[in-house]
Amino acid sequence: MTPPIISIQSVSKHFGGTRALHEVSFDVLPGELHAICGENGAGKSTLMKILSGVITSYDGALQVDGNSVRFSGTRDAEKAGISIIHQELNLVEQLSIAANIFLGRERRWGGVFRDDRGMERAATELLHALDCDIPTHRLAGSLRVGDQQLIEIAKSLSLNSRILVMDEPTSALTEAEVERLYRVIAKLRSHGTTILYISHKMDEVFHLSDRITVLRDGQFIATRNTRETNPAEITHLMVGRDIESLDLGPRSPIGETILAVKNLSLAWPGHARGYRLKDVSFELHRGEVLGIAGLMGAGRTELLESLFGASQLTPTGEIWLDGRSILPRHPAEAKRYGLALVTEDRKRLGIFNTMDVGRNISMCSLQKATVGPLLERSRENVLSQSMVEKLRIKTAGLTPPIGSLSGGNQQKCIVGRWLLTNPKVLLLDDPTRGVDVGAKAELYRVIRGLCSEGLGVIVTSSELPELLTLSDRIMVLSEGRKTAEFPIAEATQEKILEAATRSWQSHSKPA
Amino acid sequence: MSNDSPSLISRLWSSVEFKLILSWLVVVIATALLDTNHTYFNAPGESAQLILRRTVLLGFFALGSAIIIISGGIDLSSGSVIAMSATVFGSLMIVLDPQGFKDGSVSTTAVILSIAGTLLVGAMIGTLHAWLITGVGLPPFVATLATLVGLRSFSRGLTPTVTMGKSQIDFPDDKLREALKDVTSITIAFVLFAILLWFLMSRTVIGRHLTAMGGNEHAAKLSGIRTDRLKWLAYVIGAVSASIVGIITFADDGSAKPDIMARGYELNAIAGSVIGGCSLQGGIGTIPGTVLGCLFLRTVIDSVTKIVGAGADVFEGMIVGIVVVLAVTFSQRGGSKLSDKKYFANEIGWSVIPPLGILSGLSFLLFFGKREWYAPYQAFLFGFVVIAALAVRAVLESRSKNTSGPS
Repeated sequence: MTPPIISIQSVSKHFGGTRALHEVSFDVLPGELHAICGENGAGKSTLMKILSGVITSYDGALQVDGNSVRFSGTRDAEKAGISIIHQELNLVEQLSIAANIFLGRERRWGGVFRDDRGMERAATELLHALDCDIPTHRLAGSLRVGDQQLIEIAKSLSLNSRILVMDEPTSALTEAEVERLYRVIAKLRSHGTTILYISHKMDEVFHLSDRITVLRDGQFIATRNTRETNPAEITHLMVGRDIESLDLGPRSPIGETILAVKNLSLAWPGHARGYRLKDVSFELHRGEVLGIAGLMGAGRTELLESLFGASQLTPTGEIWLDGRSILPRHPAEAKRYGLALVTEDRKRLGIFNTMDVGRNISMCSLQKATVGPLLERSRENVLSQSMVEKLRIKTAGLTPPIGSLSGGNQQKCIVGRWLLTNPKVLLLDDPTRGVDVGAKAELYRVIRGLCSEGLGVIVTSSELPELLTLSDRIMVLSEGRKTAEFPIAEATQEKILEAATRSWQSHSKPA
Repeated sequence: MSNDSPSLISRLWSSVEFKLILSWLVVVIATALLDTNHTYFNAPGESAQLILRRTVLLGFFALGSAIIIISGGIDLSSGSVIAMSATVFGSLMIVLDPQGFKDGSVSTTAVILSIAGTLLVGAMIGTLHAWLITGVGLPPFVATLATLVGLRSFSRGLTPTVTMGKSQIDFPDDKLREALKDVTSITIAFVLFAILLWFLMSRTVIGRHLTAMGGNEHAAKLSGIRTDRLKWLAYVIGAVSASIVGIITFADDGSAKPDIMARGYELNAIAGSVIGGCSLQGGIGTIPGTVLGCLFLRTVIDSVTKIVGAGADVFEGMIVGIVVVLAVTFSQRGGSKLSDKKYFANEIGWSVIPPLGILSGLSFLLFFGKREWYAPYQAFLFGFVVIAALAVRAVLESRSKNTSGPS
């Protein structure tokens, strides 16, 4: 048997009182693609941060090539040949691609002057090796997420990394970009690079990996050869129970129209297309889940923001809620009309990091907890507690900081925040992004439960299987226009993808 | 109530307020013991009055600043708003009761109208700030920097226009002056103001929304919070609180000199808030903390004055600077021990040791140079002791590098 390239030996890590990792041990073999699976909070990211020198204080030992190592920073790890591609990319948006790749290791001539040309040339070569030919003087901030990720990979190539850690690399990619990423991974592997691949997505893990290690609650659970296992077993190991039966029960009966949107358009000044949304019309009924599919940039988020009065410019068109014409100009108005929006970017647009769980939940309905002018803490707690129980939020009471909860539970807090406002229509923008399998199923159940209470729900998602599981009807957007709508019985991944990639020009000119 | 959090005592122990009270007691006791004139023993009432007056005058507008900071903004203009308000207060009295102003007895109606008018001007300045920030889209730093510079200049222009050519307005009415600067009444007014703001921040929906906006403005807006209106409120409270201080300071100083009055006070207000636990990132901070922060700051300044002797005005800035650095350093270190943190174990750390030593030696000279027992070698010795102590610390820190890791 080949000696391992990385050997992790009883590694433990505590953050304050919470245990992130406990006595984790396993080996990684040279040249393999080793997937690390586990729910959010299982300790995957913490372990990878230790491996790449981001976290430097921990218990236990690491061996690389049989030698004990203890990294005192990412530079140390890079010297040992380990690079990490973080889930949230670390690029300086205001610098060029080349400058980003060589950041901190700038090439110089005469020891003083920066050699920008030389760096651009080298960067071009690196990108070329990844089948990518974006001019390397372009600013990193002007690139799509998928391209930005390639820049990070190119950076690790330039470091001659033998071991590459990828933390949920596909979470923000379109299908086409995922395909390209797979090709890049195949190429890297043909050169003998060892890859540690963190992911929730079973299809990816089974498509790519040689072996799979499962972590749960900071502990090592098992390592399996991919060929000798199946998604059901891995999911079972991750969750510690069976969730294969993703049967959400019978769909709730669909009632009268609650929301009608007619010819909604949103301008996009300064862009060649001229609009973010163009003449989008649809209806939503009580008790119904309307799924919105579309590639990144198709206008999913913009559509929800327009409905909610949160778009930069005011949209045009008609929005009828419960038979009343509305066009909210501020989220406060939308809230009063009975709309609720759970945003896509939880960290940036959702949670209040300096506040505790209870205050995060009660934020939108504090008026209900007042006596005269004063906020009554006990009433507020009753409100928040009711949502903790209804949505089964896993938390040690209302006082821990929101950041101490897992992604799925943070998301539930935000859903709870809006449910307290008794909305008529709930808008969910990619609600399961960065949420693990077990918590996803929980969220699905919550959404279905809300429908049975008569709410209308609009859900967007970057994962088609999710939309197919959850929706009663699926509407497809492409380049800001609605290109198709399917009742769930007729919807298939192929049909949706076809509609999502249809450009308006080809659509308007029938072949 | 579900209170499954850590015990009350441990929460109290870790609160900024509690630490400030402890530090304050330490400073008071140290001053009482080290002051060679024993002022705190001989004239406790007088000493308390002095500190109280200074604290109140700082506290009023520091509270305004704190609310702006907690809500995610910054106000650099308060010093100029104080000077402007004093000028406006004086000008209004001249305009409303010119004869009374000359005779040294301004009519009550004119006084009340002038005070109301001055506070209104404060509210207008706050509105201007809010508009520059939300309407024009300037960063708060730039918007209030503009008024910091602009309003003082405006006041200097206004003064000769209303006084027929003088560059200052003298306080006209001695009775009114005594009433406005009376330490008991201004202290009571301040306590009421602080309680009002405390309730606003900790017990009302608006206060929660202000804190939320400071923590995450985007999320606040998307939660249906009218962030523009909240900013208006915060900046109006900030400017009006500075106006109140302008009125009192006018009486306290006996004249309004817009060119030098309250210059640099805005930074003291920010310092008081920061010492009191407000985070300049927004979202964190309390009203009681800010009050205690101001009390602590003024007490330290008083203490140094007592121990060193005269020159309080000269050294005030130095003291504020040092206290801010220490307070934030201690509050930042969080749960970890002071001995775990490395301050001097790199190139920048080593290079700062000689300047710190030289500064310490020179400060020794400045503070004690006029004492009988002073001899030049002492300043040198003190500087060297500081350098040696820091060097030892630096060496220990670099040594501990090898053994760091699991402890």
